[in-house]
Amino acid sequence: MKTEANAIEVNGLRKNFGKLEAVRGVSFTVQPGEIFSLLGPNGAGKSTTISMLAGLLEPTAGEAAISGYSVRSNPTAAKTALGVVPQDIALYPDLSAYENLMFWGKMYGLRGVELRRRAAEILEMTGLADRQKDRIGTFSGGMKRRVNIGAALLHHPRVVIMDEPTVGIDPQSRRHILDSVKALNRQGMTVLYTTHYMEEAEELSDHIAIMDHGQIIASGTYAELIRLIGEQTRMDLTVNADPDIAVRAWENLPGVSKVSRENGAIQTLVQDSNAALPRLFEAASQAGVRITGVNIREPNLEAVFLHLTGRALRD
Amino acid sequence: MKILDIALKDLTQSFRSLFAVGMMFAAPLLITGLIYFAFGGLAGGEGGNDLPDLNVAIVNHDRPTGDNPRLGELLVDYLQEDSMPDWLVAREMLDETTARAAVDRREAGVALIVPADFSDALLSADHPASLTLVQDPTLSIGPAVLADLVRLFVDGISGARIASEVISEQAQQAGVAVNSADLQGATAAYAVWYADLQRNLHHSGQPILAVRRPAAGGQASEDPIKTILGATMAGMVIFFNFFTGASAAQSILREQEEGTLARLFTTPVPRALILLGKFSAVFVMVLVQAAVLLAASALIFGINWGRPATVALLAFSLSLASTGFGILLLSGMQSLRQSGPVIGGVISGTGMMGGLFTAGMANLPKAFNTVTLLVPQGWAMRGWKLALAGAAPAEVLLPVLVLAGMGLAFFATGAALFRRRLA
Amino acid sequence: MRSIELAFKDIKQILRDKKSLLFLVLMPLVFTLFMGFAYGQMSQPEDPRLAVGWINLDEGGTLSAALRTDLERSEVLRLEETTPEQAGRLVQNGKLAAVLTIPDGFSQKTLDGEVIYLDLLADRATSSGSMAEQAIRAAVVRALSAAETARLAADLIRAGGSAVDAAALRQAAKAASRAWAAPALGFTIEKAQADNQTTAPAGDNPFNQASPGMIVQFAVFGLINSAMLLVLERQNGCLPRLLTTSMSRAEVIAGHLLAMFAVSFLQGLILVLAGQFAFEADYLRQPLATLIVLSALALWAASLGMLIGTLAQGEDQVILYAMAGMFLFSALGGAWFPLEGVGRTFAAIGRWMPSAHAMTGFQNILIRGQGINSVLLPAAVLLAWAAGCFGLAVWRFKKEA
Repeated sequence: MKTEANAIEVNGLRKNFGKLEAVRGVSFTVQPGEIFSLLGPNGAGKSTTISMLAGLLEPTAGEAAISGYSVRSNPTAAKTALGVVPQDIALYPDLSAYENLMFWGKMYGLRGVELRRRAAEILEMTGLADRQKDRIGTFSGGMKRRVNIGAALLHHPRVVIMDEPTVGIDPQSRRHILDSVKALNRQGMTVLYTTHYMEEAEELSDHIAIMDHGQIIASGTYAELIRLIGEQTRMDLTVNADPDIAVRAWENLPGVSKVSRENGAIQTLVQDSNAALPRLFEAASQAGVRITGVNIREPNLEAVFLHLTGRALRD
Repeated sequence: MKILDIALKDLTQSFRSLFAVGMMFAAPLLITGLIYFAFGGLAGGEGGNDLPDLNVAIVNHDRPTGDNPRLGELLVDYLQEDSMPDWLVAREMLDETTARAAVDRREAGVALIVPADFSDALLSADHPASLTLVQDPTLSIGPAVLADLVRLFVDGISGARIASEVISEQAQQAGVAVNSADLQGATAAYAVWYADLQRNLHHSGQPILAVRRPAAGGQASEDPIKTILGATMAGMVIFFNFFTGASAAQSILREQEEGTLARLFTTPVPRALILLGKFSAVFVMVLVQAAVLLAASALIFGINWGRPATVALLAFSLSLASTGFGILLLSGMQSLRQSGPVIGGVISGTGMMGGLFTAGMANLPKAFNTVTLLVPQGWAMRGWKLALAGAAPAEVLLPVLVLAGMGLAFFATGAALFRRRLA
Repeated sequence: MRSIELAFKDIKQILRDKKSLLFLVLMPLVFTLFMGFAYGQMSQPEDPRLAVGWINLDEGGTLSAALRTDLERSEVLRLEETTPEQAGRLVQNGKLAAVLTIPDGFSQKTLDGEVIYLDLLADRATSSGSMAEQAIRAAVVRALSAAETARLAADLIRAGGSAVDAAALRQAAKAASRAWAAPALGFTIEKAQADNQTTAPAGDNPFNQASPGMIVQFAVFGLINSAMLLVLERQNGCLPRLLTTSMSRAEVIAGHLLAMFAVSFLQGLILVLAGQFAFEADYLRQPLATLIVLSALALWAASLGMLIGTLAQGEDQVILYAMAGMFLFSALGGAWFPLEGVGRTFAAIGRWMPSAHAMTGFQNILIRGQGINSVLLPAAVLLAWAAGCFGLAVWRFKKEA
């Protein structure tokens, strides 16, 4: 199937591993030139969805298309339009940066002068032109990540998939990657970005789809998602005793729509923080618990996730 | 074209690995070099000129009666002559106890005890002379060579005695009177003839007993060292070829663990082509290895591998077999860590079954030969032995076809298993 | 105490890895069996008398008949009639050790004083071919000697004024041949044993070479596991972590060495017991002496393993160094083939090798039937090598740490 309008079109995509339903009928559309984030906790099915789009896994059911080319019936064309940046470094440590880029370029069909030119451009873009003859194995983690991204861009893909590219890296490298994503997007590239960091999704995305347990539970712009929780405010509280006592005391209080525990703190969603706060104090006191800290937060995607699932995004 | 790119990339990575290059080229040449170094002293059929020293402790109790010559002393002098091999060091000892103790302390390899009636027995022919040889039980070559040397000495004496007796007897029968001077002259002439005969047999380029080595076309006998080396090097080529085939096939597992295989699968290159590219690299590597080892061993050790067409056929079919075997072996492995020891064990075990570690030995039992047929290495060894013996291409057709057939069958199975696993 | 804990940790890691058993026990046993079988068959051919082909084109010849009679008396070979067409194939296939061809006119022409060449088809590179050649050469010498004796007799008779015809010449040759029939020399061969042995050493048991040979070879090869642990410990950060504890470097080294020694000793012990009960190599005739050699060998192997572990930069290098060590020490030390059969220089170098001394120690027990005194020197050499390897390893370890 080919639809000119959409960069990525996913329709009812499913993936089962035996009895386990890892992806349960996911559908979304990514417009050309936008940054689209798949946000969700670990195990939500984000990587499985990405693997199906990248041609690594055969879908159990459903359809997907990259730039109008079906990944099932026309995988070669779909892959030609796609660049994939894997979560882990996927480069040959005993080959140099230049050799790696030349090899991956060839795998995307580039040859000769054009390939050499693109490799040089990527090396400039990643700031590694003076290290191009050094083996990747000698690079720092940040440098490897840059080449890892660069290798996916050699063939001018229309769509780039980046699978959690900032996991486990230092803040500086993380900043660099986020800036790179924005730069690529400014050049017209469509980016499908998976992450479990809400702030990244918030910073980068034109559209966000929240995934949990193999399904998309909400999708839209940031503003649209925030509006899902209405005027609710998130309050994070700490107590001087076992937080579960406080959770039990608060969960049925009027004006409190959600109560959950995250590590030692308790997250609540309330309609009106001014009205809810005295009730929370009173209920805590009756339960023999004293509130030691209160943090009132602006509504964010964590709050949306909490509202939709009853769990914190980073459980 | 992309198959070539993938294959070239794999080859580049392999040849940059010191370990891989070491195992592919240095190890087999070094081992054969060790064998060459070890057995270089065994050139020639008489036990050689460069064996480790054999100390011989001689105890001479010989007490000839009457005018009989002191053959015991002659024997001692004979063993101490300059013409004896350098490695034979004979010393006289006072008594048997001292000599035996020297053997026990490994100061002597052999104690030779000459009995009191040695000369008398040799000259009388009434009963054979008897020598006692007490040897270090860990030795076999040295004592055997010593026994042969002593027999040579004794045969010389016996021959002279027999000549004297028979000449005298024949002259008597013919009615011709001979005196002792005549007999001595005849015996001396016999001794000269005998010495000439020994020189001819052991040192002449045209010995009366011409030894020919069985080979196609009846070629002249070759240096036995080259024969041992040829068989040994063939064993090494085969063993390391199979080892390299399996090690090279490990690259699939390595890429899987490093994530680059998954990345390759996200490119427009079909999976079948990706695998084919990697398999091609394995084949090229083993073929190059075989060619380099054959050429290097011919240059360094002077091994004559045989007719070029035969060698080419065997090298090709060997490479097919080792590629297929390696791919099949790795298709059953789940991780790199698991594969290392398994490769070592399986390649060593099948190599052993194929007779690669006993290549230089002869007289192995029939059961061994049957077992070798079960593994491709055994067929490869058969083929290379024929090639070394100068066989024509048609004569090695059977092992070539079996090797190629096995290789293709292994490859097909292994490739199918990989495809299923990576689908 | 902590060194012992460290040693236990290492041993646990090695034994948990099932593949370790492959290298430590199974492979050496299989190789021992195989090599012992090969050595045994090589030194005791299936038929003690070698089959030798006989092609006699000198029909009715006196000397050829005498030669045949002489060879038929041989304890080394037996004659089988064959044809020139089959000869090459039969020797190549090993069905015949050699084929002797007597040319037409051999007897008469030799008696007439001509030089006639005999053809012997044999592969000297094989022991059977070599043995057959020696036995045949001796018989040929006797036959030619008979001819020469006949000629000398004829010369003497002619000098005395009588005629000698061909029949007389043949008669004289026959007489000389008959005289050779009575053996002039007998040998009594004894294999030296220590005096106070209660059981005879099984000197002819091929496993007396194969069993200690494989113990020595796989003592080195089995180091792969231990050395690998050191390398991995460096690579995965556990070694730096260990060094941040209050454990001293010496304790770390001691712990690893103890583990390697234990593994090597255990391996050797299993192989000794297998040799004793499965292969009739009588190590337990001198249990203390065997223990001394085994301990010294294990200590040297452990120190070598430490050295490899400190030198190797990765897993691949561990395998490379261990295999190189195995090949070198095994070949030079007489584990693969007795040093008796090699060139002088090779043997001279070999005798310095710790592996050669280990072999000497074991074979003093197994073959020479000797006791503790005979293993003290080999053990001392092994310990000296162990000290050297260990010293280098410690220096290297400290430098890196």
